[in-house]
Amino acid sequence: MSATETELSAPQSDAASRRIGWLYGGILLGLLNTFAVATYAALGVSRNYVFVDDLLLRAVGSDLPTTNAYLSQRIPTSVDWLVMVAIGMVAGGFLAALLKGGLTTRAVPKLWASRFGDSRPKRFAAAFAGGFLLLYGARIAGGCTSGLVLSGIAQLAIAGFVFAIAILASGILTARLIYRGRTS
Amino acid sequence: MTAAALIIGQISDAAQTATEAAGIVGGTNTKALVVGLLTGIAFGALLQRAGASSFTMIVNMLRLKDLTIMKFLFVAIAVGSVGIYIVDSLGGIGLVANIGIAPVYLISLIVGGLIFGVGWALAGYCPGTALVAMGQGKIDAFITVLGGLAGAFTLVLTWDYIQPTLEGNFNYGNKSLADVLGANPLLVALAMAAVIVAFVLYLDRLDTKKKATGSPGTGKHGAVTSSR
Repeated sequence: MSATETELSAPQSDAASRRIGWLYGGILLGLLNTFAVATYAALGVSRNYVFVDDLLLRAVGSDLPTTNAYLSQRIPTSVDWLVMVAIGMVAGGFLAALLKGGLTTRAVPKLWASRFGDSRPKRFAAAFAGGFLLLYGARIAGGCTSGLVLSGIAQLAIAGFVFAIAILASGILTARLIYRGRTS
Repeated sequence: MTAAALIIGQISDAAQTATEAAGIVGGTNTKALVVGLLTGIAFGALLQRAGASSFTMIVNMLRLKDLTIMKFLFVAIAVGSVGIYIVDSLGGIGLVANIGIAPVYLISLIVGGLIFGVGWALAGYCPGTALVAMGQGKIDAFITVLGGLAGAFTLVLTWDYIQPTLEGNFNYGNKSLADVLGANPLLVALAMAAVIVAFVLYLDRLDTKKKATGSPGTGKHGAVTSSR
């Protein structure tokens, strides 16, 4: 086993080993989504990015929120349940990490650094481009991993199955290209 | 069970009326906002604890090196599906399942999905897990969120030009698998859950084998040992 391999796969902190396993975590997430559907709606995220854009545009006095077809027809003008879910997710990530370990200000993941070096600008450029494509694609499709895969397939939506196949095919191919030649 | 149904029924009373307004999901009254916040906190905490907000866990899933997150997601889908359609079939005791079947715009789903996948592998986050990772303090996740805002804004600006192509043809409506099969949705959900469980067990065997021959990784059903 090479040094890099050890570094990438060995336990890095107490926090990591105290994580919840995929089985119990998955069961809890399924129950949470059931609760969400029984109370308001299935879990979803990506529309909120457009909501924040809409909010920023209103703040700077742009008329796009009323003239643009997408914003005026598909984006609410006030905070709704789904916006609060997104705010809660940031808080939930913070609180879980605070209580159980995992708070960090790291900018460059080790796996990324092992392939592209520890340059911050390089990682930030990829993170920004990645985020751009994520949301451009998600809003074309009408949802992301949450709304279309986690919730969409759970609700048996055909759209969810199609989207899941597309993102896995593209994601797996891209990841293989990006990290080609690496064995760990 | 009945008590839980009553509580949930009381929480959801105002949900339906508010959705009349454009684009609103789940209502805008105080109760909806508070429940939304709590639901989001639980969602974010679960994703964080399961390792789904980890760049390495996501990228290694896409590289098929560590399928923990895929198994986590599949189990959540199976449990959620059965749960949602049980709630749906319990309408008689005051429970309402706020089911919303997404429309099948085939071109939108495929084109959007292919673009999304490239972003997924580049960022190492998806739109939701980027929010969670940002909450943990990860700076590159914050940058991903900024990129997401820019991507969403670009979509808004280009929408009028691409919408006719995306939604003009190959629109099959808001179809569910139960509609296509003409079967009871709860039965379809149960059948799908059985298939998913079998598939997850198969993935788990692959995963365990991979890790046994490679490096120490996750234990069976259990503790994830790779971080970040």
